Amino acid sequence: MSKRLLEMNHISKSFGGPLVLNNVNFTLEYGEIRALLGENGAGKSTLMNILGGVVNANSGSIQIDGSPIKINNPSDAQKHGIAFVHQELNVVNDLKVYENLFLGRELRKNGILDTKTMKQMTKDVLDRMNVHLNPDDEVRTLDTSYKQVVEIAKALLQNAKIIIFDEPTTSLTNVEIEKLFGTMLALKKLNVSMIFISHKLKEVIEICDSYTILRDGIVVTEGKIQGGESKVTIEDLARHMVGKDVFSHTVYYEREFGQPILEVDSLSFPHHFTNLNFSIRKGEIVGFTGLLGDGRSEMAQCLFGCYRHYTGDILFKGQKTLINSPMKALKLGIGYVPRNRKENAIIRHLTIKDNFSIVMLKKFVKGLFIKGREEREACVCRLQQLNTKIGSINDLITSLSGGNQQKVVLSKWLESNPDLLIFDNPTQGVDVGAKNEIYSIIMELSRQGITIMLLSNEAQELIRICDRAYVMYHGVIQGELGRSEMTEEAIMVLATGGTLN
Amino acid sequence: MKQVKPLPISKSTVTKILDRYSALIVTLVIIIIATMVKGTDFLSVQNFMNILRNNSVIGIIALGMTFVIISGGIDLSVGSVLVASGAVIIMTMNATGSILLSILAGLIFGILVGLINGLIIAKGNVPAFIVTLGAMNIYRSVCQHFMKGGGFTSTSPTYKDISNGYLFDVIPLPIIYFLVCCIVMHLISKHTRFGRHVYAVGSNEKAAKLSAVNVDRVKILTYVTMAVCVVIAAIVETSRMNSINATSSGHFYELDAIAAAVVGGTSMAGGRGSISGTFFGVLILGIMNNMMVLIGVPPFLVGAVKGTIVVLAVLLQKREKD
Repeated sequence: MSKRLLEMNHISKSFGGPLVLNNVNFTLEYGEIRALLGENGAGKSTLMNILGGVVNANSGSIQIDGSPIKINNPSDAQKHGIAFVHQELNVVNDLKVYENLFLGRELRKNGILDTKTMKQMTKDVLDRMNVHLNPDDEVRTLDTSYKQVVEIAKALLQNAKIIIFDEPTTSLTNVEIEKLFGTMLALKKLNVSMIFISHKLKEVIEICDSYTILRDGIVVTEGKIQGGESKVTIEDLARHMVGKDVFSHTVYYEREFGQPILEVDSLSFPHHFTNLNFSIRKGEIVGFTGLLGDGRSEMAQCLFGCYRHYTGDILFKGQKTLINSPMKALKLGIGYVPRNRKENAIIRHLTIKDNFSIVMLKKFVKGLFIKGREEREACVCRLQQLNTKIGSINDLITSLSGGNQQKVVLSKWLESNPDLLIFDNPTQGVDVGAKNEIYSIIMELSRQGITIMLLSNEAQELIRICDRAYVMYHGVIQGELGRSEMTEEAIMVLATGGTLN
Repeated sequence: MKQVKPLPISKSTVTKILDRYSALIVTLVIIIIATMVKGTDFLSVQNFMNILRNNSVIGIIALGMTFVIISGGIDLSVGSVLVASGAVIIMTMNATGSILLSILAGLIFGILVGLINGLIIAKGNVPAFIVTLGAMNIYRSVCQHFMKGGGFTSTSPTYKDISNGYLFDVIPLPIIYFLVCCIVMHLISKHTRFGRHVYAVGSNEKAAKLSAVNVDRVKILTYVTMAVCVVIAAIVETSRMNSINATSSGHFYELDAIAAAVVGGTSMAGGRGSISGTFFGVLILGIMNNMMVLIGVPPFLVGAVKGTIVVLAVLLQKREKD
């Protein structure tokens, strides 16, 4: 019997209802990077939580190094060399690199901290990973990619043999992603195996050796990425994940535009953006992109009234306007779907309905009280328009998948009949199928005459639906691209501070 | 277009209440059995009326406190503000002889106090704990100075009727005031824009702000609502005693009010809680107090037992999984 690092056999799990995992087999070779793919709700997290000891399987067995093991809780998993690197980084910003690595298991000599050994061991681990990082640096001062390095180093220090990466690249810039991949390849040389969970299929093809695709709790297919005779494509992977072709249809189509609706003249805010000039016409979809620190999100929040002491002029519908609060922005007809949905858009203790009506609650108030029936009807009607899958509108918003949560956030702004909608990373944490739906919705909205500003860190996203795009670099607009000029290369050149031709 | 599906209710209210208060219900049952074994008059109507009447002042304050805590804040100044507004009411009454004018003066004073607290917290970005801790000391000490450590007594012959009368000769009026406040606050919390916004701000202030909710105004209004509750409580308290004392009145009311809200399921982290929960919280704490007296717990130890029960109850309550 050939020895594999990890074998999970016939794993089944249900949380009382239908099977979330149905007879799933999952294996990992030594030094292998395996992608675990699937739409939200396909069972990826459950499978990984079983491996991490967070939940227990109903049936099935797990073997490591050929011998059967039991994982009943997270510390069992740690003992067997299984480590998680989470999407939300679990590092303590106020501590130094080496302090983070030894957090909770500090080395002591004669009762006091053995700083010297800890620093040396930290340095050794970082050297093995081939990264140059000072153990004495404060984690707060590091880029996100280095924070991730700290987490990986922490796992290695605990002799991790299997590292699970849960969407590690969502908050990283392209340069940082390359760094992360470099680290992963270095780990591979150390014979560490990795499980890579991501919605970004391009990255999967770039870094992974093999893949397993789950759909509705069943392994639909698995295989090698570079199979020698046949190479797997992004389209193949996406088709298996969704169960149908998703890339075959283009969403974009030509439309007529109206008068300029938003004109920005030398808009500046210290430390965030300087001297921005642009103009957007009614019905246009205009993209904004750049790398971390480009200032585009701050610019969007400024247009939405969050930076009231800006300098420069904003002309909205031809009129010079001071946008000094989100309330003012709403009154003008501006809507804003922010990035980091969980932090900025979801009110997690409220129901779907309450999250929906928060923006336009005024509309449903007659006399002193909220008219419950009108509110419910409007909510159901909007959500149906966007084809949102929900149980009851009285369920908590957190019961929904990422894509459906995003639709609720969008619907609350649609209820305000906006003239301009600003989307910041609208497909963050949203699976492939729902992504396409959101693109179609955005196209349809612009056809109805709503002007769209689409902020994104994915060049592909802009290329798919934008009429024009501005690329930002360190708070200034580095260049403007028409639809025909929009390529990943052109965007990357501008985003890294270069100029075209 | 008008296809509205029937809307299923996720969980029955009864199960929810059982879920949330299971620990308390167990504690209560044990105490009730103990009381019955001892053969006291716990189960008499008269005793229940007493419990409710004695807790109506704390109850009214706890309602406002529930709003403040749901919005993500805290108000430690309620005990002192009760004394200060009580003093304003009785001073005005003794000066003008008009009950109406004095209540009006009390309300104006309360709204001002709430506005000041709220403005410093919302616009000045100072933690509510610090602002209201300061206010707690300021109002108490100023009152003690001007009242020379003693109290004011009302000279109005009718003022005491507000709290000492009965409805239908059975129900003490303070109970009615408490119940009316409960209903009004419940309606505000569940059926008005302000109420909805209180929950939103407490649950995720950033998201509320980015949903064009006027977060500062919501916060300020919560402290004003709190202060209005305190003034109503002060009216009930002063008319029952026909006086107010700068040193002994309103002592530890802030802690009792917070305890009632928290026992009633309000989350100190904000975003969660309900007026109905607080109503039960007040009732449960009141019943515990009463029964400890009936069983014969030494009076100085009542606080210790109560404190233990509150901490244990919240410890055993189902907490939110994240």
